[in-house]
Amino acid sequence: MIDQIKDLTNEIKSYAVATKEELEAFRLEFLSRNGRVQSMFKNLGSVPKEERGAVGKAMNEAKQLAQHRFEELKNALESSEQSVKAAVDDITLPAPEPIIGSLHPLTQTLSEMKNIFYRLGFTIADGPEVEDDFHNFTALNFPPNHPARDEQDTFFVRKSDDPEVMDLVLRTHTSPVQIRLMENTTPPIRSIMPGRVYRNEAVSPKSYFLFHQVEALYVDENVSVADLKETLITFVKLMYGSDVKYRLRPGFFPFTEPSLEMDIWWGSEKDGKWLEILGSGMVDPNVFKAAGVDPEKYTGFAWGMGVERIAILKYGIDDIRTFYENDIRFLEQFN
Amino acid sequence: MKISYNWLKEFIDLPLSPADTAEKLTLIGLEEEESFEYGSKLDGVVVGEVLETNQHPNADRLKVCKVNLGDETVQIVCGANNVAAGQKVPVATVGSTLPIKLDDGSFLKLRKAKLRGEESHGMICAEDELGLGTNHDGIMVLDAALTPGTPISEVFDLYTDHIIDIAITPNRPDATCHVGVARDLAAALNLELKKPEVKLSEVVTESEDIKVSIENSEKCHRFVGKMIKGVEIKESPKWLKDKLLAIGSRPVNNVVDVTNYVMFELGQPLHAYDYDEIRGKEISVKDFDHEVEFETLDHVKRNCAPGTLFICDGEGPVGIAGVMGGLYSEVSDKTTNIFLEGAYFDPGTVRKTAKAETLQTDASYRFERGIDPNLQAIAVERAAKLIQEVAGGTLADEIIDIHPVKTEKRTLTLRKSYVNRLLGTDLTERQIVDILEGLELETIEISPDSITYAIPTFRPDLEREVDLIEEVGRLFDYNNIEAPSHGIYVSTETFSPWELLMEKIRTIGVELGYKEIYTNSLISEKEASHFGAVDTMVNTLNPLTADMTTLRPSLLHGFLKATAYNFNRQATGIRFFETGNVFKQSEDYSYHEGIKEQTHVLFGVAGLRKTEHWTSKPVSYSVFDLKSDIAAFFGKVGLDKALSYSEKDGKLEVFIKNTHLGTIEEVSKELRKTYDIDQKVFVAEFSVNDIHEALKKQKAFSYTSIPKFPPFEFDFAVILDKNISAGTVMDAIKNKAGNQLQKLDIFDVFEGESIGNDKKSLAFRLNFIDPNKTLNIKEVEPIINRIVKALEKQFGAQLRG
Repeated sequence: MIDQIKDLTNEIKSYAVATKEELEAFRLEFLSRNGRVQSMFKNLGSVPKEERGAVGKAMNEAKQLAQHRFEELKNALESSEQSVKAAVDDITLPAPEPIIGSLHPLTQTLSEMKNIFYRLGFTIADGPEVEDDFHNFTALNFPPNHPARDEQDTFFVRKSDDPEVMDLVLRTHTSPVQIRLMENTTPPIRSIMPGRVYRNEAVSPKSYFLFHQVEALYVDENVSVADLKETLITFVKLMYGSDVKYRLRPGFFPFTEPSLEMDIWWGSEKDGKWLEILGSGMVDPNVFKAAGVDPEKYTGFAWGMGVERIAILKYGIDDIRTFYENDIRFLEQFN
Repeated sequence: MKISYNWLKEFIDLPLSPADTAEKLTLIGLEEEESFEYGSKLDGVVVGEVLETNQHPNADRLKVCKVNLGDETVQIVCGANNVAAGQKVPVATVGSTLPIKLDDGSFLKLRKAKLRGEESHGMICAEDELGLGTNHDGIMVLDAALTPGTPISEVFDLYTDHIIDIAITPNRPDATCHVGVARDLAAALNLELKKPEVKLSEVVTESEDIKVSIENSEKCHRFVGKMIKGVEIKESPKWLKDKLLAIGSRPVNNVVDVTNYVMFELGQPLHAYDYDEIRGKEISVKDFDHEVEFETLDHVKRNCAPGTLFICDGEGPVGIAGVMGGLYSEVSDKTTNIFLEGAYFDPGTVRKTAKAETLQTDASYRFERGIDPNLQAIAVERAAKLIQEVAGGTLADEIIDIHPVKTEKRTLTLRKSYVNRLLGTDLTERQIVDILEGLELETIEISPDSITYAIPTFRPDLEREVDLIEEVGRLFDYNNIEAPSHGIYVSTETFSPWELLMEKIRTIGVELGYKEIYTNSLISEKEASHFGAVDTMVNTLNPLTADMTTLRPSLLHGFLKATAYNFNRQATGIRFFETGNVFKQSEDYSYHEGIKEQTHVLFGVAGLRKTEHWTSKPVSYSVFDLKSDIAAFFGKVGLDKALSYSEKDGKLEVFIKNTHLGTIEEVSKELRKTYDIDQKVFVAEFSVNDIHEALKKQKAFSYTSIPKFPPFEFDFAVILDKNISAGTVMDAIKNKAGNQLQKLDIFDVFEGESIGNDKKSLAFRLNFIDPNKTLNIKEVEPIINRIVKALEKQFGAQLRG
């Protein structure tokens, strides 16, 4: 009897089907009420009592096997049927173009700078693009008729012979925001001032009549060149990597004294060169006075850099006008 | 300004190479812009003896020469007509470099070559090819007595130099000459400065030869003159020409060259007059209250504004003071007697004139920065002596010095504590004194915490204590200041709500799948005129070109321009946003009276939302795509609850309470046409300032618990006149529905003959909810009835069966 069951089990194990009809044939042969498995149980009575336990167990195993085999064959058959796919079921077909929002590369560059300053505890401030002569020039220690005014070609928006009415200009730098901040807050002041500035210049791949600057101001009771230096070094390291090579050299800005410029080494050790990346200095006492801050009590540093210039360096962009054309083929490279 | 390395070495024992000198100059604030070699020692160019010349077999104009170079005889192909056997000629041998600049910036290096099949080992040179002159008529023929193989540098006196072009910041007038630059280097490197020695002669204010007067002493503080009689005008000696040529100054004649030389050496612009041409034998410095026509040396007739300062002789102007001389009384070949001028003109006056005449000269460049007001006599004496050396003649015993405005040395006190506080250093008094030594500051007093200096008049930039601190920092070298090894612990500043909002808006733009753009905020009057009357906008008074006349009144122009730009380059769909400032004239001003400057945000879509693809047919953007994004935008900003929309002239105006935030609209066909855009364009533009204000009044967000009971949904449709807008009907429904209405939407819009030509059907879906119980039809039905009745009454609507 046990041998018969074993034969049956082997038969079930090796049974194969290729069609639905054959699967049905399997079911009829093994699992139906009159199928071979069920019939087997009818013979259990004729098995000697002492073997009945073992035989019954084998029969039950065979029954479970048949049931299991049936499911197995059924699944195999279904999945083989599914492999006959429709043309649109092809996963290698291209998906529709995704809609991707993105920030302009100038915003991205600016964000990178902002985040560095935020880590240093700076906040952010804002001011108007149309600015008066006092905030844009005089308060920043550009006396009327000073050659330093020539270095910034200025758009005038209002000019008046009436000394009571101040000339209005499109701000030539973000520094007027410094004055506004100092007028309205008591030090300590620690803020950055990003924004759009204008120069009345001819358009070329290297220059545009508007661009963006970020300026930083820190005023407190004992701020020194050494602190400025530490901040600048931290900034360039976070921006360009901790192995960045840099140098400081004297510069000239009417609103800082002393004034310093920072260069970083750009390119390989051999073929690289020094590139100027920012201007900085200690806030000039005249600027403090104009903004109502006591220069004997407070010292401070300010520094600024061009966003376009940094983005141009970073991404190897060769024409500044590209930023304002907004060609999708340009924008989508900065997703 | 071009600085000659050789020239610097006349004043200091410079221990640095030219490259190191350039770097040092940069580090002390005289930034190197470019450096280059001047001249060539012509290494590898030797005397050759032409042994024979033969016609080139393949080229009529070439000759094949055998040339003895001393240690060998080589074959050289030569194209010059004048080459002949027996000549001694300069030969550039293989491997030598000639001062001939190639297109890539490098210099011509000679290689072994084959010219039309004949080998050539070197080149027989013409004068210009060796940089020895300009002649290119044929090869140079040398003295027949020379020995073949002699290096050419032994035959000619060759001049070479290293030129460093430095950028001079406006605060450093003292560095516009070689002595000044040498002084800075001497101070930084602790070297001794040897200035040219000058013997001053007796000072007079009157002379028999000439009468000098200053009529406007505010504009001319000093005028120094000296007579030199019996000079011979000729070409300058080689040393003088070499030095001037090396720094890019073209030699003219010996007298003019000396005046230039002294200017480059000491920083004082000088002028030499042909004495015999000075009319009336008098010179006066004056300005006029009327316009003056004057022809300058460059042969340009100029109408000079009233107030322009002139040097005049007995009959009229002979030069614009500090800017450029005139044609009259110029030194010429016939000149024998010279009157030499050295003056101090007010920087502002010179600057104004140079700017008005758009004429920057070496002289005006120096005067407008402010030269040393005590240098004039020294420079004139120095030049007179040199003129005598190179042009002969007799110097007057005396010097005329009219000096109505004298400049005294300023005194400044430098506190050690302030130096260290500002620089973050720990310098001792001794160290500070040592650092500043070499700048020719005169120490008046040293007390334990401070040093008082008299400031030389060649440093007008040193006006305040802080200016001296800059000198300390600059010469100490900022790179040597020790930065704290870590920053001081800071208490972080908070961000303003405005900045957080701006950041949020940009983030939302990206989240909604829009690409950010940056567009011009300064546009042309013509472009601006599409958006209103230009005279209500903010305009620039002095734009360089007509493209930059008007500040944008809205962000729309920039968006349309970017849209057109991309459609013209095969883009199919546009989905952009921008934040930026817009401007108009307004009583309700923001910072400056009359001008309202606000920050706006614009969202715009155009063209295809979906391109043709196997998953879908092409789908164009509709205003509802934008409307839905704007709803999402306000939801994310946190203003959706209080928002209301109203339709006006086909545009959707968006309000919060009574404040108009902005507009959602389809751009008109006419406007699209001006930008050549065929596709439909939809834009929404809002004032961020108004959003910011609205948010301030908004209660802080707090969570509402999820309803425990399910909503009750009810649909109904009404037929009404087509011209009644869905928005008005929805407002009416909301008005009548009570606070259990949670959601209202339209799920079908239908029009057709079956309901009448001027009619439409709108099908509404209403969701009611009660926080305390499950609603049933019995409770909702009366509300629906109330609504339908109101719609019947208000719009003549008819409930659809």
